[in-house]
Amino acid sequence: MKENENNFESLHRLLALKRHETPPPGYFENFSAEVRARIRSGDPGRMESLSDQLPWLVRLISAFEAKPAFAGAFASALCMLLVFGIVFAERPDVAPQPLLQTAQFGSPLAAAAPVALSSLPAEQPALIPISSTNPVFNTQSSDSWFASQGAAVQPVNFMLPGN
Amino acid sequence: MIMAEPVPSSEPEPSAPVDENELVRGARGGDLAAYDELVKRYQQRIYATIYHMTSNHEDANDLAQEAFIKAFQALKSFKGGSSFYTWLYRIAVNKTINFLKQRKNRTHMSLNDIDFNAEHDPDMMALISDQTPRRAAGLTELQEKLNAALLKLSEHHRLVVVLHDIQGLSHEEIAKVMECNVGTVRSRLFYARQQMQGFLADYLKPT
Repeated sequence: MKENENNFESLHRLLALKRHETPPPGYFENFSAEVRARIRSGDPGRMESLSDQLPWLVRLISAFEAKPAFAGAFASALCMLLVFGIVFAERPDVAPQPLLQTAQFGSPLAAAAPVALSSLPAEQPALIPISSTNPVFNTQSSDSWFASQGAAVQPVNFMLPGN
Repeated sequence: MIMAEPVPSSEPEPSAPVDENELVRGARGGDLAAYDELVKRYQQRIYATIYHMTSNHEDANDLAQEAFIKAFQALKSFKGGSSFYTWLYRIAVNKTINFLKQRKNRTHMSLNDIDFNAEHDPDMMALISDQTPRRAAGLTELQEKLNAALLKLSEHHRLVVVLHDIQGLSHEEIAKVMECNVGTVRSRLFYARQQMQGFLADYLKPT
């Protein structure tokens, strides 16, 4: 042990230089007052470490640093999840449903519909794009709905007095 | 066995344990004046340890203050199993190591000036004498090289060098602070010194 210590004698002398590094004059005069002020104000400080706030995150980062294979596996799993999500998001497994307005197949506006109407069954209502340039109207007759409801419809004529 | 030189310090040595225990009891009860006394007692050593670990005055200032704040907040959990001094050191050291791990490879040196006494220290003069391989090396250059070499060590190896060779703590005290056995401290110290010798070969006299 003594021999080892002798080997490091020169290093000890060099390390002694560190003891001569001193903070600016008067630095310690205000140190305790600053600590006291920060305790009173409840200031956690800008250097409050991440480990104090998010210990689980620090443990995760440490695990990644210690085991690169674990980090690679985690990254691969994330990529696979992303690809899986993209593929399933683009899969047209649900037919588009009419949301706003329906029209009978064969109406004059059907030709303007963007979907291939000929591929749809005859009973399938087509989606009609509604915009400021397309007039909105109902292609069903007014009495057809009442007929379907089983109600009797009769035109009414109101005569105003004096006419 | 050559022991490290005691740390030159103007602060008073910790007084009788009874006094310290009284201060701790007072601080635990919320007496800020009592805690202020404890801060004044240990501020230089805590600051110096953190400074030597980070080689950055601003970081050391913030970390030292936060270590004292955290110690005050955690005083209720201090059971007295170890001395307050060891317990406080442990808080400061853990905080510093966590900080350094987060800042890995992003270290920035902000070194304190070398005091006037260094120029009259025979050991310091010997370092820049004509026997030194790099004769032109001044104290400032040596200071930078020394700090850069320290920063190359791992946090735990740097810590044993700082606590033993710079701060003058015994192996047993370091083992208590680092919560490991004395053998581990000795082996870390030997390995760290070997590494330091390799880093600073140009600035060390051949033995």
